Amino acid sequence: MRNILRLAVLLSAVLCLAHAASGAEAVKLRPMTSAYMDNIGNPLKEPEGVAFDGKSLLAVADTGNGKILLYTFRDERLAPQASFALPQLTYPVRMQFDPKGEILVLDGKTRRISRLTNSGEFRGYVEPAEVPTPGTVIPRSFKVDGKGNIYLLDIFSGRVLVLDPAGKFQREVPFPRKYGFFSDLAVDENESVFLVDSVGAQVFAARRNEKEFKPYSESLREDLDFPVAIAVDRRGRLYLSDQDGGGIVILGPDGSFRGRQSAFGWKEGFLRYPSALHVSDGGILFIADRGNSRVQLFAIVQ
Amino acid sequence: MRSLRKIVLLLVGLAVLTGGSLALSQDQFRLKPDAKGKACLACHVAFQERMKLPFVHTPVKKGACADCHNPHTSSHGKLLEEEPNKICLKCHDGIVSGKAKSIHKAVGDGNCVKCHDPHAAKYRNNLLLDGKTLCFSCHKAIEESVKGSKFRHKPVESGCLGCHNPHASEGADALLKTGVPSLCTGCHKADGPSFAKRHMGYPVAKARCTSCHDPHGSSQPGMLWANVHSPVEKKMCNQCHLESSSPEALKVKRPGYELCRGCHATMVNETFGKKRIHWAVVDKTSCQNCHAPHAARQAALLRDSMKNVCNSCHQDTLRRQEASVTKHKPIQGGECTKCHRPHSSDLGSLLDNTSVVNLCGSCHDWLRHSTHPIGDNVVDQRNRNLSLDCLSCHRSHGTEFKGFTYFNPKMDLCVQCHVTFKR
Repeated sequence: MRNILRLAVLLSAVLCLAHAASGAEAVKLRPMTSAYMDNIGNPLKEPEGVAFDGKSLLAVADTGNGKILLYTFRDERLAPQASFALPQLTYPVRMQFDPKGEILVLDGKTRRISRLTNSGEFRGYVEPAEVPTPGTVIPRSFKVDGKGNIYLLDIFSGRVLVLDPAGKFQREVPFPRKYGFFSDLAVDENESVFLVDSVGAQVFAARRNEKEFKPYSESLREDLDFPVAIAVDRRGRLYLSDQDGGGIVILGPDGSFRGRQSAFGWKEGFLRYPSALHVSDGGILFIADRGNSRVQLFAIVQ
Repeated sequence: MRSLRKIVLLLVGLAVLTGGSLALSQDQFRLKPDAKGKACLACHVAFQERMKLPFVHTPVKKGACADCHNPHTSSHGKLLEEEPNKICLKCHDGIVSGKAKSIHKAVGDGNCVKCHDPHAAKYRNNLLLDGKTLCFSCHKAIEESVKGSKFRHKPVESGCLGCHNPHASEGADALLKTGVPSLCTGCHKADGPSFAKRHMGYPVAKARCTSCHDPHGSSQPGMLWANVHSPVEKKMCNQCHLESSSPEALKVKRPGYELCRGCHATMVNETFGKKRIHWAVVDKTSCQNCHAPHAARQAALLRDSMKNVCNSCHQDTLRRQEASVTKHKPIQGGECTKCHRPHSSDLGSLLDNTSVVNLCGSCHDWLRHSTHPIGDNVVDQRNRNLSLDCLSCHRSHGTEFKGFTYFNPKMDLCVQCHVTFKR
């Protein structure tokens, strides 16, 4: 009898481990805190971009006000630190920290990426160099990997450009033959690139050495209205922000649907036309809650 | 030897059973030999007249009414043996190939009686009306367009079946017998000097003819679509394409919007001068996402009606409207630009006004004199960073509630802010 019990316990432990390893466990989002004001008490207006430096600094693209805001994040609390407006950045929409702590910001009006210090000093534009024809590059979004390489979602030429930290061309992966419109990309620690197709409500992926994008998920039209942003966590789970539906859809590392969190609304925990999102290694989801003119933080709960 | 005998017996048994069942299916109602059809017509006397029509459906002719109808009981209307949208397929199951690229909606829906009379008709194939008259009874827009055209495509005059299959097509969209241009070049020889001259020497024999020509008829010379892009009208193809002598003559001179900017610089500059761009304007397909480069039925060279053009990407928004209890007129009418700027705007959602209140007020003027407090100075109680405007309570593209409010107006809407009244 004891042996049977031991066997049962062992079996369930193995099953639990296998289940956890496959990333199949349910993921929930717990509302943590929100940012409504900048450091001088001005309300945010339709922010579209967020970035976290992995330690304690949160940067926000306060798009409607044309400003960059900085917050410190400690003990589940946000404290406004600084805000700056730059003539080169009148409409910031996407942002990323590089490994040196500099902030890269995409301006939606000029469609150029600026490099800033974390004290708000303009360090110049990221100018893609030695890019194969066609030479015109229009980034809809971008991401920076752990080595500082820049991944540009070049919608004009239908490709993802990989640039070194100085902006020099490294490689390119063309968009797949059939797609609707790509709004955002994510890059995991293995340098796999994920694209979100807003029109087809589908994710495409290309592993590090692959030369083309392949469908990674099925069309998620039943669960997503119009996804506009994507982020990936260390476990390979993907988070998609559903702009029109007001919610976050989570996919497992195999591209399968793992659930939908939050809903359309105004109160904390709800989302209204959410835009960019960022997942920290510590399991915090930062969301630019554009329609609610705030940034929301959620704890990712297993 | 024994087993052989068993097999023979089994085969004989099977033959008897099969024969019996066949006989039963042929005359499952055990009608007297002379009663077929006559039994039905004894009561349905009006049918005797119809049987005199030149084209009678074979089972009717044979008096095999029970092929389609059950004389005693049925779960379907008109005592049909099968669901109305499936009964024809009992005999005509090969009418649509599994490889069909396009299927006539009536056929897909099993609505065969839209075109055919199941008993008898004046026209061949038991059609309700003759030739194009039948097609135009549904496709009225094409009929009107053909009638109003100065130049009519000859095959259309003689009927639609010159180019289209009536049921389904394996070869092409829109029920076309084969794809364009091979369908067109079947009649219009593309290797003659006159063809080359008319097309300014460009190798268009393999291009899509319908990107310039209205296949049904038009009042434009050359049967071009009603709205023609100026360079096409002036036969200045080389304004956008490489010279006709070039090996890649059909290639355009510049990619994306950069090509259009050459002439439409003011519009492009104005578009780029706004903060928020419609990203489709600057993607790989750019202007051609929405506009046809040569000619189009729609004004402003839109590829399709505005509703369909916008819907090709924003299906969720249109779906929301379709499901909405209350319809918003501009969306129903396909007038998306009543509220949104199609190229760029300084406002979120590419709205076409300085404020939501003013935008809605441009149609709903009653809100200027009788409304819940709204405006920049009225804080939304649910979120201190927002002020109240029309979209605080209404979702303009539609909801499940009357007046497209976000929440049930009786129970949940007002108490979102007026929490003390919440029950």
